[in-house]
Amino acid sequence: MEHNAYIPRLAKIIQIKEEVSGARPIKTFRTQFLNKNDFAFHCGQCTMLSVFGKGESMISISSPPLIKDYLQFSILKMGRVTSALHEMEVGDKIGIRGPYGNGFPIEDWKGKNLIFIGGGIGLAPIWSVLQTALGKKQEYGELKLIYGARTSKDLVFKEELKELKKKMIVHLSIDVEEPEWEEFIGFVPQNVTDKKPSPKNAITITCGPPIMIKFVIQALKDLEFEDAQIYTTVENKMKCGIGKCGRCNIGMHYVCKDGPVYSWAELKKLPQEY
Amino acid sequence: MKKILRKKSFLQWVKRLESYKIYAPMKDDDFWNFALINNPKDLNLNHSNTVLSPKKIIFPQREVILEFSTSNDSELEVKEILPEEKASIIFGVRPCDARAIPLMDKVFGGDFTDPYYWKRRDKTILVGLSCNTPPSSNCFCLSVEGSPHSKEGLDILMTDLGDKYYVESLTKKGDQLINLAKNLFEEPNAKDNKDLENIHKDSEKKIKRQIQDIKNIPAKLKEMFESPFWDEESLSCLRCGICTYLCPTCHCFDINDEIISSSPLKGKRVRTWDNCQFPDFTMHSSGHNPRSDRASRLRQRILHKFQYFIEQYQNYQCTGCGRCISKCPVGIDIIEVLNKVENYGT
Amino acid sequence: MVNLEELKENAKELLKQEKVKYIIGYKRGTNGLMPVPAFIKKPEDVENLIWDPLCIYNLTRFLVDEKRKKAKQKNPDERPVGLIVKGCDSRAVNVLLQEKFINREDIYIIGISCENTGVVDEKKLVKKLKGKKVKKIEFGKKNGFIVSTEDGQVEVPSSEILAERCQECIAHFPVVYDVLLGEKPKRKPDNPFKSLEKMESLSREERWTFWKEQLDKCIRCYACRSTCPMCYCDECVVDTINFAVTADTTAEEKAQKIKWVEKSPVLSENFVYHFIRAIHLAGRCIDCGECERVCPLDIPLRFLNKKLEKEAKELFGYDVGFDPDRPSLVSCFKEEDPEDFIR
Repeated sequence: MEHNAYIPRLAKIIQIKEEVSGARPIKTFRTQFLNKNDFAFHCGQCTMLSVFGKGESMISISSPPLIKDYLQFSILKMGRVTSALHEMEVGDKIGIRGPYGNGFPIEDWKGKNLIFIGGGIGLAPIWSVLQTALGKKQEYGELKLIYGARTSKDLVFKEELKELKKKMIVHLSIDVEEPEWEEFIGFVPQNVTDKKPSPKNAITITCGPPIMIKFVIQALKDLEFEDAQIYTTVENKMKCGIGKCGRCNIGMHYVCKDGPVYSWAELKKLPQEY
Repeated sequence: MKKILRKKSFLQWVKRLESYKIYAPMKDDDFWNFALINNPKDLNLNHSNTVLSPKKIIFPQREVILEFSTSNDSELEVKEILPEEKASIIFGVRPCDARAIPLMDKVFGGDFTDPYYWKRRDKTILVGLSCNTPPSSNCFCLSVEGSPHSKEGLDILMTDLGDKYYVESLTKKGDQLINLAKNLFEEPNAKDNKDLENIHKDSEKKIKRQIQDIKNIPAKLKEMFESPFWDEESLSCLRCGICTYLCPTCHCFDINDEIISSSPLKGKRVRTWDNCQFPDFTMHSSGHNPRSDRASRLRQRILHKFQYFIEQYQNYQCTGCGRCISKCPVGIDIIEVLNKVENYGT
Repeated sequence: MVNLEELKENAKELLKQEKVKYIIGYKRGTNGLMPVPAFIKKPEDVENLIWDPLCIYNLTRFLVDEKRKKAKQKNPDERPVGLIVKGCDSRAVNVLLQEKFINREDIYIIGISCENTGVVDEKKLVKKLKGKKVKKIEFGKKNGFIVSTEDGQVEVPSSEILAERCQECIAHFPVVYDVLLGEKPKRKPDNPFKSLEKMESLSREERWTFWKEQLDKCIRCYACRSTCPMCYCDECVVDTINFAVTADTTAEEKAQKIKWVEKSPVLSENFVYHFIRAIHLAGRCIDCGECERVCPLDIPLRFLNKKLEKEAKELFGYDVGFDPDRPSLVSCFKEEDPEDFIR
């Protein structure tokens, strides 16, 4: 009998880090499976996390596939399940099933310049692919991150970003002015326009709120990026994760199975309903 | 295998099948529905269309997926709950409802097989009944590649020839059922075969409703995604779930945790039917909703059936049973909608 | 008698003079004889309007959609919506006015009197004709209907096919309108709660058995809620998430929302759903009977609402939907209100 796709494997929370506090808090969780760890995944794939008694929520894996000791998830407190996750402590148990979705075609990007563009919690889904590329830096061209949030407090991975600046180009931004902020002030798409990344031999990977993605794509088009050079991830409400429950579709595509990663060349051909 | 069964022997045949669970259409006041038959005498094959299709037997509206609990030493336990099904026979399946099952098979098969569905599906034998007269005034099976005597999805097709049934077994499962009561069946003669042919031909003529030209519909729908047409057509839609819950091919579902006790934790994860016409179906927990109005939800229902499913599985996800038309509280008529699509902008 | 031409003329003038945005009425459907709701925008389309004994729907329900749609528009058309109402429907309008859900100036009410009859019960009609196809149905001169089938015309007394709610109707004419078609009859039913008698004569155990059987059938398609003009809440206890969630709703608010009713269509949950709905309709239900008509499984939901209507009448002397300026039943307390049910 095949493994039942609906049954999650149990995992233990081994570390919790508070990334952002306040009204829209974000925490990063590291988890370890209770049983044998043979969980393999690709950058950009997601898992269905269970808080038993509350339900399930589709969350992207933010640790790179090379790390085998734990899986990492950065989670914005948003609804019933994510609120319950935020209440949890180290040692508590959750369920994990997956991995789901297509992931980033990182093998195809070798030798290219990679420009990562993120907003708010949107850095989490691209963190895995960013770390993976960084780990094999010699295989890629120039690596660049353009990332922003509402305020400096809303930036995730604050310490990691400091470290990252030593290894690659990082352009940060916040929406409104703050004392002591020395980087860009304005929305992420404006920062993209300001930094003028070159489309030559480049791939962009964008993740953030839908409205940000929309304007980033516009900014990139203005900078003469081709549709096929622009990658983004889509999120939709999901329940099964395996293309059966019917709610996450964009046209004939089920985001849980056929997505969540799309190039703009692919996405623009689908009905604009997400 | 082609056989003849006298109507007076039908009850005896059913009695020989006692090792199976038997479902058949039962009349409840004014309407028919599939139910478990405790006494073979209750079996009656004069039914009009059942309110719910037999999909509810293979894919029940509610089923438990797993149970979770914390034991005394606060260890979390998760237990897989698979249906333990006895083999079942469903009698009186209309050909349209039978054709819906292979479509469900595609959805619940594929890259990830769905064990809950297949546990039941593999143990269910479908015995169909040709529609000599249309069981509903809104039948339109001929428009969606079906017919009132289609064999698709069935293990046996029975056709009423007056005082006898023409029984055609289509699978090994079907042969088994006949073999359990071999002596009750006769070989069809030339007249039986001729009668069968005539009845089948006649039954097709009795289907009154039709979609004008379905071949063009998927391409046309693709062009019409942004059309104001959907606003117009959905004006009277109440956003209830009748059309999809009654549909033999709709498969969407929800998964929720139901708690029996919160401390110590004890509960079940259950799967229930869900419905693209409900606003909360696609609503993100942020409040963002990709299909926030009735127009986009009606469009989803039609496009899923007549464009997306074709693109994905090369079949229409509609078998022409007419339930969504007959039971729509405000008379939204899928045939009419598609005929308008066909003629839209020309 | 209500004159259809007069109705069309009225509607045409309203649209021509651009007094209304559109008119909600009835037109012939494509699925058999049943009419469907019509949303008429152009004067020439008033030709589609019909009025016959199968114009069952309570079109007031569509004011809920209109209000939601208008709330989303930046520069909404402020003209009223034309609405065709029967007596019962007009009382639904009054309840919505009473609850300040709609404003009087946002609707132009075309009232149609049911005069001496009412509307037909589709199921009774089908039974009566034993499979014969209805070609046409009209109001008769006296207390009855003229039904045309392939076999010719028959006059059917209203007692045989009239909807039960119409038999118990206390006002066969609109109580609020801008224009009225037809006469105001003076007909009072002998007993407006007659249909409850049989149910009330049953023992508690028998009633329990009855409702267990009925509510066990429910598939929770929510057609009863969806068709009800009073079920306009942005937030309903049965939904997992709802209209009331905006970008500003906090995670806490969402997480703390109690799940009163599980999605599982099992008896316990079905009971909670239907009883919450019934209680929420006490003093608000005007007995249009739509919930029962649309139920695909024929659950006799009207009993629940009718019973509460009777309680409101007997305990508080409250009649629903006659006076939009009167405080609603559940929002007012009077010294003389009976208290003997509080134990």
